[in-house]
Amino acid sequence: MSRRPGRACRAARRALPLRHYGALAEREERALARHLAACPACAGEWEALRKMLVAAGPATVFPRESEVDWDRFARATVERARAAAVAPRWPVPFRLPALWAGLAAAAVVVAALWTLSFPTRPGGDRIALAPPGGGLTAESARESARMIEDRLARRSAARYLSDSRSLLLSLVQSPARCRRSGGDVDVSLEVERSRQLLRRQNLYEGDLEGLRDQRLAFLLRQLESVLMQVASLQDCASEGQIRDLREQIEQRQILLRIDLVAREIGGRTHVV
Amino acid sequence: MEPDDFALMDGVKNDREGAFEALVGRYQRRLYRLACGYLRHHEDALDAVQETLVRIYAARGGYRPDAHPFTWAARILANHCIDVLRQRRARPAVSLEETQSRPAGRDAIRLVSSEESPHERHERRELGRTIEEAIAALPETQRDIFMLRHFGEMRLEEIAVCRGCALGTVKSSLHRATRALREYLSRREPALALGEGERT
Repeated sequence: MSRRPGRACRAARRALPLRHYGALAEREERALARHLAACPACAGEWEALRKMLVAAGPATVFPRESEVDWDRFARATVERARAAAVAPRWPVPFRLPALWAGLAAAAVVVAALWTLSFPTRPGGDRIALAPPGGGLTAESARESARMIEDRLARRSAARYLSDSRSLLLSLVQSPARCRRSGGDVDVSLEVERSRQLLRRQNLYEGDLEGLRDQRLAFLLRQLESVLMQVASLQDCASEGQIRDLREQIEQRQILLRIDLVAREIGGRTHVV
Repeated sequence: MEPDDFALMDGVKNDREGAFEALVGRYQRRLYRLACGYLRHHEDALDAVQETLVRIYAARGGYRPDAHPFTWAARILANHCIDVLRQRRARPAVSLEETQSRPAGRDAIRLVSSEESPHERHERRELGRTIEEAIAALPETQRDIFMLRHFGEMRLEEIAVCRGCALGTVKSSLHRATRALREYLSRREPALALGEGERT
């Protein structure tokens, strides 16, 4: 009859995988080694775990990895990458229009500022406010363009957060039963939408990074992680999978944080 | 001494000679294993790796060193794999059996090992399939974290950044994943998974 392991044994067993992956601090490593030397049951656990993880190496799990000539593969990859860099780049459906829209809007703002920055005398003659020969500086034009780009990126982020929020809400609040397997949850729509959102995030990424908003960046990373989990579900997910996702969303307070960040972004988009 | 990943990526960004080749050599197998975890298909995994590395090269100018280069690469790969999985839905499913036995379309880059007997190879593949099933049966978070550490060889801190979670979550998920794997394998491959305590 086997005895239930004590507290020290449970702690030691939690640390075993970390030991295998070399993730223990020196002090923890020494303490664990001492415990293993004194506890045959934990030492046996360690041996079994090590044996299993070694057996589950790439050569066993991915047997065809060794069939690939990786040097040739690397050469082919480098050639393809260089050829792709020389050839016209693949279309980026969001950024190009955004760039042109930004430039066009910047031109309109510059023109408006140009007009407004020259008050007229009662007689109708313009008074030059800038130094002679200066006019509106390139710096202020760049600043205007930057502000417009910033506003467009914030709008994209606000839309993205709002769409993600409604997806997560529909996932946690109103699960539909799967017709095929009775007890499971039909998440086909959510899976599809999360994939679309992940693709959108890829397209926005450069623009959003430009905002340098730590809180938004952190939220987006967490959101990406949840969306990736949703995207990889089968159409009929189990109750357990949905419960896991619900717990994650609640623990990280993702819905609340989306509300807060979206409100903040929404407020700032009007300040240009 | 070999440059670390950040220095290497800096070289790629600044078009230093040989830097991209070195990066490809360093990452391609790790990415392949991650891609296999997502796609469970050799050919698609190779395509995904190549596509990811091409995208890295194309986007090298925009790389910011606040994320580890492999973390960045793994995210690009994951997004690409999600797209592939979506496209695959429109096609009839390919069974694992077919996946393993199907002749490769990339004969030019294949090199069949002759050191192993057919029987040994068969046994190893059977074991590999059992382990693959055990990994596939893990809950999503545990599976991803296990894959990133065990096959992607990422540090736990990098995994935490990559997944936007706490280091403690990574550690506990890794513990749960290895325990679940052992439980699964103890039913299918008892000799592989039993500890001393369980034998007595």
